[in-house]
Parts: sequence; C-alpha cells; structure tokens
Amino acid sequence: MVNITINGTSYEVPEGYTVLKAATEKGIHIPTLCDHPELTPYGGCRLCLVEVDGFRTPQPSCTLPVSNNMVIRTDTPAIHESRKFVLSLIFSERNHFCPYCQVSGGDCELQNSAYDEGMTYWPIQPNWKNFPVDASHPYIILEHNRCILCRRCVRACGELVGNFTLGVEERGANSILMADLGVPLGESTCVSCGTCVQVCPTGALIDRWSAYRGREEESKSQKTICTACSVGCGIEVFTRHNNIVKIYGDWDAAINKGVICEKGRFLPMVEKRERVLTPIVKQDGKPKAATWQNALEAIAAKWSKGEVAALVSDRLPAETLSFVSHLVGSDKVSVIESAGDATSGLKKPFEGKLADLKKSDCVVVVGTNLAEDHEVAGFFVKRLVPSGTSVILIDSESNPLDQVADVVLKPAKGGEAALLQLLADGKATEVAAKAAELLAKASNPVFIYGKSASELTIKAAVEAAQKFHGVVLGTRGGANSLLTAFLGMEKETQLDKAKAVLIVLADDEPSQKLIHQLEKVPFKVVLAAYHSQLSAQADVVLPVAMWAEESGTFISMDGHVQQAVASINPPEEVKSSKEAVQEIASRLGIKVNGESWKDLLKSKAVVTEIVEA
Amino acid sequence: MAKPKISSDWMGGCAGCHMSFLDMDERIIKLVELADLRSTPITDLKVPDESGVDVGILEGSVMNTANEEVVHRMRERCKILVALGDCAVFGGVPAMRNFFTIEETLRRGYVETESTDENGKVPDDPELCKQTRVRAVHEVVPVELHVPGCPPDPDVIFYVLSELAQGRMPELKGDKINWH
Ligand code: SF4
Ligand code: SF4
Ligand code: SF4
Ligand code: SF4
Ligand code: FES
Repeated sequence: MVNITINGTSYEVPEGYTVLKAATEKGIHIPTLCDHPELTPYGGCRLCLVEVDGFRTPQPSCTLPVSNNMVIRTDTPAIHESRKFVLSLIFSERNHFCPYCQVSGGDCELQNSAYDEGMTYWPIQPNWKNFPVDASHPYIILEHNRCILCRRCVRACGELVGNFTLGVEERGANSILMADLGVPLGESTCVSCGTCVQVCPTGALIDRWSAYRGREEESKSQKTICTACSVGCGIEVFTRHNNIVKIYGDWDAAINKGVICEKGRFLPMVEKRERVLTPIVKQDGKPKAATWQNALEAIAAKWSKGEVAALVSDRLPAETLSFVSHLVGSDKVSVIESAGDATSGLKKPFEGKLADLKKSDCVVVVGTNLAEDHEVAGFFVKRLVPSGTSVILIDSESNPLDQVADVVLKPAKGGEAALLQLLADGKATEVAAKAAELLAKASNPVFIYGKSASELTIKAAVEAAQKFHGVVLGTRGGANSLLTAFLGMEKETQLDKAKAVLIVLADDEPSQKLIHQLEKVPFKVVLAAYHSQLSAQADVVLPVAMWAEESGTFISMDGHVQQAVASINPPEEVKSSKEAVQEIASRLGIKVNGESWKDLLKSKAVVTEIVEA
Repeated sequence: MAKPKISSDWMGGCAGCHMSFLDMDERIIKLVELADLRSTPITDLKVPDESGVDVGILEGSVMNTANEEVVHRMRERCKILVALGDCAVFGGVPAMRNFFTIEETLRRGYVETESTDENGKVPDDPELCKQTRVRAVHEVVPVELHVPGCPPDPDVIFYVLSELAQGRMPELKGDKINWH
C-alpha cells in the first residue's frame, strides 16, 4: 500500500494502481475518454489530466502509477482549463453534428464531458475536412467524422475479442480507423461481436439496429444472461415500451466481463420469424386458432400415460426441463437431435472453469467449432495468442480457428483420440511433433473439447490433462446443455412407440432432420415462440415466450448456476414455457415440480464443480 | 431606470430558434415587462436601433456577405451579443455545406435539383451578396454569450433573456446546456 493525497485528503491505495484507478475507487471523478476499465491504459486523449506535486506539467492520470506520498489535485481552475482545451482540440478535429447523432443527449461520453466542463461552444472551430462513412457492415456503421481516435475499439477488438480487425492508418490529422489492411468493415475479418460499438465513447460506431430507438436514460435496463449457448455470458438488455433497444455485454458478469458475440448482441435484433400468438389446434386437417382451454382439451384427449415422449431444446430453463420430465417421465425426455452424452462413462468431476484459460500457455482444441458455436469461449482463446500462448487445433474438418492456431492437425474422422494420445505420450511425428513439443513445454495447458468429441477423445483429453497438470473444458451445446446431460436427456430419441410427442422448441428453429423424424408421429404438440414448418404440421401449438420474455435457471458449460431474468413481457396469449408445461400437467392432473433438478445436483456428481451465484 | 433594450436578427438558420423563443408562451409577457423588445425578424421593426440596444440576439450561421452585414450591424449596435442556437454557435446544419465548394452547392441548388435542369441559371447579378464558407458567429465577431441547442429549449431562452433583462449574466450549466 502507498499513501497518496487527492484534493487535500489522504488515502491508502494498493501499489501498482494508476492515479485514475485510485481516484475512481475513492469516489473522486476524473473525466476520461480513451480509458476503459477493461482495456490497457492508453493515455491518448489527455482529458484525465491532473496536477501532481513535483511535475512541471499536468499528468494523464490513467497511465500514471501512484507512488508513496504523491500529492494530486483533480479540481483546480487550471485543470478545468486544460480539460476544456483538450475537448476543444478534439472537437476541432472532426465534424460533430450533435443534433442528428444517435448518442447525443446522454449517451455520448464526449458530449457529456463537454457539458460537465460547461462548454457552450467550440473555441476552435473544425476545418470541415470530410471524412468517409463506412456503411458496408450489416450491423455497424463506422462514421469517421465522429471518431476521436481514442482507440478503445482497436484495443477491445484485440485485447477482449482477440480478433485484431481494427487499426489506425495514416498519421496526424489524417489518422483514420481501418479494418484489416484498409478494406470496408463489412468485407473485413470482423466477426460482428459489436464489442467495439459498446466501448466507443462517441457516436462514431453506430449500431444500425439500436440507433435512435431510445437513449439509455429513456430505456429500462435488465441484467440477465444470454441463453444462445452454454458459455452463459452476462448481458444487459435495454428496453423501451416493451421493445428491445439494445443488448450490451455485462461488464460485471464473472464469466464474460462484458464481451459477447453476434448471437448475444445482434441476432436478437434482426429476428424476423413470425411469432405464434395464440394456441393453434388442427381441425379437419387445418390449423385453427384456439383458446388455451380448447388446446389443452385437445391434448388431454390424445394423452395416454406412458406413451408420450418429449423432445426438448437444450436452451430451456431448468424449471421447464424438470416440469417436462415429471410430465412424461424422465426416461422419455431427450434433447432435440442429441448426439448422446459422451461423458456418461467418465469419473466426475473432471472439468475445470473457463477462467482457467486466463493463465493458460497452451490450449488444445478438439472436436468443437468454437468460433461458430461458443464464440466468446473462442475469443478467450484467441486473445491469449499475443501473449505467447500456443494453440493446437485438432479437427478433421476446416475450422475458423485454423487461422490462429500454431499447429493445425487434421486427423481422419475418428482419429482424434489416438492423435491426442500420441501427443501426450510424446510419440507424435511430423507436424504433430511440434504440437507435442508445445504441450510438453506448457505449464498450464487447457484442453477444450466439444459436442463432436467422442468418449475416447474426452478420455484421452482427461488423461493428457492429468499428465501435464492441465485442465479440461467441455463446451457442449445450448445454454442448459450441461444440465440436460446431467438429467439424462442427452440420448437418442426413441419415438417408435410414442403415441404422442411433446416438442418444446421455444426459440429454436426446427431442422429438417427433426421434422423428418417426427413425420410418422400420430400426435404432435409443439411449444414454440415462432411459426415454423414444424408448427404448421403440429396437431396442437402452444405459444410460448422467446428468451427475453422468460425467467429461469441455467447452468453454464463450466457449472455456474445463473438466473435469466425476463426483460420484456410476452404478448397477451403467450405463456412462458414453464407455465405452458404446467398448464398441460394440471389439466392432466399430473404433479410436477420445477425444483427437482436441485436435489439431483446434490446427490450426484457433475462433470464440473457447481458454482452457485 | 429605463428597461434594457433587446433586439434580435437572423442569418443562415431555419427560424426554429425564434419559434422556440415564442414557445415560452405567456412568459413573453413577463419578459416584455422586464425588457423593451425592439427589432426582431418577426415584428414590424426589423433593424436594431441606431442608438444601440443592450442585448443583441443572433440566430443562424454566417453564410454570405449579407449575413456578415447583419452580424456586424448587430455587433456595433449591441452591448451583449448572444449567439442563439447551434447554427449561430457552431455553424449547425448550414455548415454541412462546407464539405463542398461554393460552386458545387450553387450548381446543385440551381441546376441539378429534381425540379431544375441544365437550363437553370446560377444567379450572378453583381447586386447580390456573395456566398462564403459557413461560419459560427464567433468566427466573425466577438460573442459574449453562447446558447447552444437545435433549437435551444424555450425554458433556457426565457432564463437567459430574463437574466439579461435584469442585468445579470446567465450561467449555462448542467441541464441548461444542450447541443441537440
Ligand atoms: S459523437 Fe457526441 S459530440 Fe460527436 S456528434 Fe455525436 S453526440 Fe455530438
Ligand atoms: S464487431 Fe467485434 S470483431 Fe468486428 S471490429 Fe468490432 S470488436 Fe472487432
Ligand atoms: S470509433 Fe469510437 S472507439 Fe474507435 S477510435 Fe473512434 S471514437 Fe474511439
Ligand atoms: S458466447 Fe454464447 S452465451 Fe456468450 S453471447 Fe455468445 S451466444 Fe451468448
Ligand atoms: S483517459 Fe487518460 S489520456 Fe485518455
């Protein structure tokens, strides 16, 4: 700890802190623009200048480390003058037409800073140099005229996302952001995670779908989790008049610390599927809108105990999964298109945590397409690369991670386990020998396996992890896929004997394979948020909530028990999946319990340690 | 003591700031009690008194030599000059013209619009004013008070004018500053 004095009061703060961090923690406001708590300090904008005894000139507090007996002033007339001057210079560089800017009026850190300093005009007028607008990206518009070159986006894209798409070209007043080596953003390597938009302090990075839908102060915000995959990222959903305005990564979320992917941020904004708004019952072969009561009657008429199977999405809350398993019997529930549970024969727990990646110096990825299915986990791997972490990719097919991996191994299908074993035993040859070498050197290797990994592959990974004192991580599938496996729902679907099948799709889009599988089923009840080819064929459709309308419990791929909290209300006739299943149960007189998964968790080992919130 | 005199005028603007001024509704009566409202573009008297006024208000940016005359005349005749609205304060919408040459904007306006054709003629009568680069008022003459906003809120305009009318310099702080 060191002693410092800020504005006449002394404080004790940890060594290694910057002056900014120390002040912020003590509740003293210093305005900033280029600084961001989750990014490496850059010291570029100079708005955070403070007076420090012993220094001839004001110092940028975001990069200045505290030292013992340092005397700092943040609130002198001279400091306010220098802030105004810095802001004047920034405004003079580009073209800020605030009245038409989507962030004006509260959401612009630049404008807010100017207001805070009481700036009513720009002492130095801009020279009206015309900067281009890059509107090539489906989600993002890059309006260079409003860019202050703070490079938050550049650092976020590299340090948080590991994508390194953004950079700066040219010099001085001509400096301009660029994507890759100067291509339009829409044609670049950008993976549309939107992290750059979230960190941009100005209106330079425009989110096409959120712009002008409402500023933050006009919106309600709800912290919850993304249920698009099993990473379990924390998100903040901003809503206005029961519409989603925008989705941000939650900076306070332990798992993802603010970073989310296209599926979490943008895909919900471009949802075009048509909602199911009332129950539908097939009459004389034609689907007809019905009341809940009629729909439940129709279900009851065809329900014969013991002969109903259920297919569930692995993105449903734990409560709904429990209800379904009581409703039809746990042995009759399986996850839609499940590949089975390859971990069933393994001694549990054998998996670690995503956070273990932070200190990893060698990551082995096998049987998973991280960039597509568990993107943020992929970001966690990619962002390690600059610090020297080696990445070994084992995949019989092409994989976007091929680009970043130090060694790419392409065994024949089914050969992954044997290859892993060779690596672990140091017996690999040719290219694989380099991978074995990297692995042998590593002090904290992490093995990530995914859905397509066989039991043998996982076993090989577990053994290799034991040998090298490493950690194993499994990504699985949807948001609650750890729980569906645990509940025994990851198994092949047996539909031959079923007289009726309950299909709980919620947000999911049914695949052709699923539709084909269900062709011969005599009676189909579909619980869906959206119309689809399957809902059109169903005998009864019950309208259920989409993800943002339903609360419930999810367990992330690495065992974090988290709550999804609804951020908007469903349309009038639409019920949450929990309520819908409950309604069926109570009509049939079957007792269901939404908490039974909890007791099970206590009685039986899971692949990874369970972390309660 | 005689009531302080207030005059206003406009240049390259949309009249929106004057509309926002009128939006103070019945408070305008209070203002007239405090101050002597002299010339404005929306009253009969159009030109500020030669003998001078206390407060001069300008809406709009300075786009041409005629605007320059308006600005200089107001500056010469008032003690406190107020730039009212984003165009007067920053250049505003009209300043977007600065991204093009004056020839380009004239050709667009008189020849290339949807309702004109190649027979359109850019007016070149020597009696007409000359277009210039678009400027904020303070780029042309010194300004005592900037009231930004597109347009400024009527509450802010009332606050500013009633303070000035009572001989105080208004302080624009907190939610009284709005550039949008
Ligand atoms: S980025 Fe901020 S300062 Fe620039 S135009 Fe937009 S609101 Fe105004
Ligand atoms: S959207 Fe993501 S990947 Fe694309 S430029 Fe922004 S931070 Fe980089
Ligand atoms: S786009 Fe935004 S975040 Fe990126 S440098 Fe410009 S102002 Fe900063
Ligand atoms: S990684 Fe998964 S949980 Fe995180 S934002 Fe993307 S889809 Fe959502
Ligand atoms: S915040 Fe410190 S220099 Fe930008």
